[in-house]
Amino acid sequence: MNSQTPALRVLGVSFLNARPLVAPLRTDPPLGPDGTALFTVDEALPSVCAQALADGRCDIALVPVATLLDHPEWEVVPDIAIACRGAVQTVVVAAERPLAELSRILLDDASRSSALLLRVLLAAQGLTPTLEVVPHGEGAARVGQGVGALVIGDAAFGLAERFSHSVDLGALWFHTTGLPMVFAVWAARPGCLRPEHLEALLAAKNLGLRRIEEYARQYAREHAGTTTSLPESDYATYLRRAIRYGLDAYEREGLVEYLSRASSLLQRPEGDDTAHVRFADAGYAPLRAAVATGTASPVSVGQILDRARRGERLGLREGLLLYDEADLLELGAVADLRRAALHPEGIVSYIVDRNVNYTNVCTARCKFCNFYTPPGGPNGYVLSREILAEKFRETEALGGIQILLQGGLNPELGLAWYEELFRWTKANFSLRLHALSPTEVIHLANLEDLTIREVLIRLRAAGMDSLPGGGAELLHDEIRNRISPFKNTTDEWLEVMRQAHMLGMKTTCTMVFGFQETGDHILTHFDRLRALQDESLLRDNGGCFTAFITWPFQADGTRLKLRDDTSAWRYLRLQALARLYLDNIPNIQVSWPTLGAEVGEVGLRFGANDFGSVMIEENVVSQAGAHFMLTAEQIEHHIRQAGFRPARRNMQYELLTDTPVAPSGAKA
Amino acid sequence: MTRDDSRLDEITRKLDDRTPLTLADGVWLYGYPDLCALGSLANRVRERLHGDRTYFNINFHINATNVCHADCKFCSFARLQPGMPQAYTMSIDQIRDKLIERRGQAVTEIHIVNGLHPDLPWEYYLDTLRVLKAERPEIHLKAYTAVEIHDFAIRYGRSYEQVLRELIDAGLGSLPGGGAEIFAERVRHKICRDKATGDQWLDVHRQAHRLGLRTNCTMLYGTIETLEERVDHMLRLRALQAETGGFQTFIPLSFHPDGNDLGKLPPPTGMDDLRTYAVARLMLDNVAHIKAYWVMLGIKTAQIAQSFGADDIDGTVQEEKIYHMAGADTPQALSRVDLVRLIREAGRRAIERDTLYNVLWEDDGGALAGVRLDASVPHWAAARRHLPIVESPEPLGPGGVA
Ligand code: SF4
Ligand code: SF4
Repeated sequence: MNSQTPALRVLGVSFLNARPLVAPLRTDPPLGPDGTALFTVDEALPSVCAQALADGRCDIALVPVATLLDHPEWEVVPDIAIACRGAVQTVVVAAERPLAELSRILLDDASRSSALLLRVLLAAQGLTPTLEVVPHGEGAARVGQGVGALVIGDAAFGLAERFSHSVDLGALWFHTTGLPMVFAVWAARPGCLRPEHLEALLAAKNLGLRRIEEYARQYAREHAGTTTSLPESDYATYLRRAIRYGLDAYEREGLVEYLSRASSLLQRPEGDDTAHVRFADAGYAPLRAAVATGTASPVSVGQILDRARRGERLGLREGLLLYDEADLLELGAVADLRRAALHPEGIVSYIVDRNVNYTNVCTARCKFCNFYTPPGGPNGYVLSREILAEKFRETEALGGIQILLQGGLNPELGLAWYEELFRWTKANFSLRLHALSPTEVIHLANLEDLTIREVLIRLRAAGMDSLPGGGAELLHDEIRNRISPFKNTTDEWLEVMRQAHMLGMKTTCTMVFGFQETGDHILTHFDRLRALQDESLLRDNGGCFTAFITWPFQADGTRLKLRDDTSAWRYLRLQALARLYLDNIPNIQVSWPTLGAEVGEVGLRFGANDFGSVMIEENVVSQAGAHFMLTAEQIEHHIRQAGFRPARRNMQYELLTDTPVAPSGAKA
Repeated sequence: MTRDDSRLDEITRKLDDRTPLTLADGVWLYGYPDLCALGSLANRVRERLHGDRTYFNINFHINATNVCHADCKFCSFARLQPGMPQAYTMSIDQIRDKLIERRGQAVTEIHIVNGLHPDLPWEYYLDTLRVLKAERPEIHLKAYTAVEIHDFAIRYGRSYEQVLRELIDAGLGSLPGGGAEIFAERVRHKICRDKATGDQWLDVHRQAHRLGLRTNCTMLYGTIETLEERVDHMLRLRALQAETGGFQTFIPLSFHPDGNDLGKLPPPTGMDDLRTYAVARLMLDNVAHIKAYWVMLGIKTAQIAQSFGADDIDGTVQEEKIYHMAGADTPQALSRVDLVRLIREAGRRAIERDTLYNVLWEDDGGALAGVRLDASVPHWAAARRHLPIVESPEPLGPGGVA
């Protein structure tokens, strides 16, 4: 570790709303592991902050988000933002006439970012008033007939009351997109942030949020008697209610929507990747600790495999060593033994269900996804009841017992839409609903301003039976930041699963590999799933992961240009390793839709005990170049070839008694 | 599903003592449920012979005619009569054009296999070799299966030896291994009664080996044969190899069910493929190489086969009519980098070879033109030591050419 690292130069913003993020860095300066200060702190106007960071005059700055378009190299601190969901009060067009009737709007030179937001919103309404930049704080005084002024920052307090047609841009954005608006984030020069910096900035925010009343009082005292002064309680309400300091999935959806619109307004090169944001990541603390402390006794791969063979739990370092060095066949042999120990009956199950993707409209714009269309884009669809009814009827006719229902994050579809859909399904069909990945649940909670738990309870009451494990990809934010920066984080994904398990629901979990991840990322993924499963099993209420499924990333037609090892060989190794590490997840399913039935069959000797599903359709994968199709008879044939007896099951992994288990017909 | 470990131990001991396995051993291994244990056994033999090397070579195929008077039940390539839909026969000029099209490409071998055309003149076959040799003298011609050689002998009234000598004079370099199917008479009678018998097939190769040609051998599995018949097939090859030493490579070929008369059979399965590779590696202890033919096996299974005995992946096949008419679910061609990548990802070292296994290029793990291969190498493989080759395959028999 570096012991002598110079303090990073932080440049904060002087506005009231930045105080909870910046003030604690001054009053309680965070110290590094060696006892020296981590930061030196200064303040400036937002536009100055971004310029200083670009010029190298500071290391970390609170920057307007639009500047990220020009600086894709900056690393953004996760979990911290200055944002709003609805009215913000401090980005306002002051006017005596409605927006549509203004011929000229004066802009404030302190923030180009708000000016850009205004232009984006004007463009959305097709309005084209003349825009004119004036010095910070001067605009409001010049408002007149047909002339409005964009007023930002503390100068905007109380403005709404003084003008008959003020427009709050936070509210207008929310009205236009249904999404939050992110104004500023901490951005850093690439390569300077270390885990302790990220932790310190987050700790400072948490401290700042506890001191909001104090900052409100201070601010009221400083501004007593000025034209914009408000009662202290108004400032406190502003900091508590109007401003949101988190950067969770919903804020990230708003962020990418804004960056996408801004970049097309600025006529940046086509493509959603203009809106990429590079988040910094501190990694997984238990893994850091395990690697840091684990020099004690060197163990060999053979010893670790012996332990695994006996069913003993593997630690992170042991898992890493197996990932790095174990041979394919050694891993496979031990995984096969563990599979046999967990499922001694010699049965391999499968399910007949149908994957229905109810909408392809999605705000998250994941780079690895070639299925979605952004809101308002061409080819967007929401399946009608008629089409759904047809698909559901076909599924029943084919002996299907379940619908795997997943879709994009469509801001048009509220919780009520899902509730009605589920009720209608249950009223008209005898199908189980294995519905909505955590990503969609988070989106709904945000959209409706409900907790995850409330959303789950309502969906369940409407007919949801279980939750699929989609949207996990790799549960390590370093990878997620690269491939899907605007989608939910690892913690958020796990939290939905935790809440579902707390309600006694069964869920599955997945892993997609092939994003240039290392063993650290893979083992982190495994470890986080295993830890959550431990927690859930302890509760003993039936809520838990029933199965784990992994498959390689299918790159065709996606925007992710990286190439990685997505071979069948690696798949078998990772699945075998998963069987050994995920000792508390009972079932492992092969992924034949991405790998083909032959590899799927072989996978049954590499730790898996389930052949997945007779998928009647699978849009997300098939659009990216996997086109394997199997009938139930073929699936049973492959299961027998691998030396097992096939049996149908439901999502709970209960074998269905009305389908006779055929006698063993293994050929070889 | 009980595991008979004592039997496995006994077989392991035999392998260590270099005692050839018996028919019963082979059949027992086929039925052993622990796929990974079977693979490990085959992998030991494979690594003893070839370390972490996996060979490939850059060749292309010419199928000059698909007209064939035989009517093999498994064949979706051949058309019985010249005028039938999709029937074609290339002119000698067209054959030459196939090579001219590839001017500037690093091809070291042409693989030529045809249907048994009822009325082409003998000169056609000789000219085929001559024009290709004239165009690129350095290229190796691996041409005409034993079934074709047998057919030439009958049709043109020559002995195997005469046929082979004339072809050698025209430029023949070696024989491909096709047409072996399954030697057992019961199976042959049902699926390919119109062509050379097993003994005739073996005789052609015996003769070729005597004349100093290296040849390959194959087995078509997954039709109606029993496991005993598969192992018996391997044993007959092993016996000839003990006599002549002329086989270089054994290539198991899985049967593809679409578009031919055996379409009702279940599709080939990954498990059967891998078991067949492993058993072949263990039974054919005197044949140096086992080749995975990815066009048929699928790229994924071919990659995995490297851990189940295969040390050779049939290369960048540019044009492949025979299996694609039968619906093999693989792309038409694999580029050189894709192939090297596939080998690296399985933790092996790619070796480009010529037909006779001379090393032309060896993967040093470095970057390859046009592809960011660095990112695709699993870092465990990069750290892996090179395995030493502890034993060289049986030396060539008396007639062998180097
Ligand atoms: S993966 Fe899901 S969340 Fe991401 S863009 Fe595609 S549909 Fe949207
Ligand atoms: S396998 Fe060969 S001999 Fe048999 S029909 Fe096909 S082309 Fe003719």
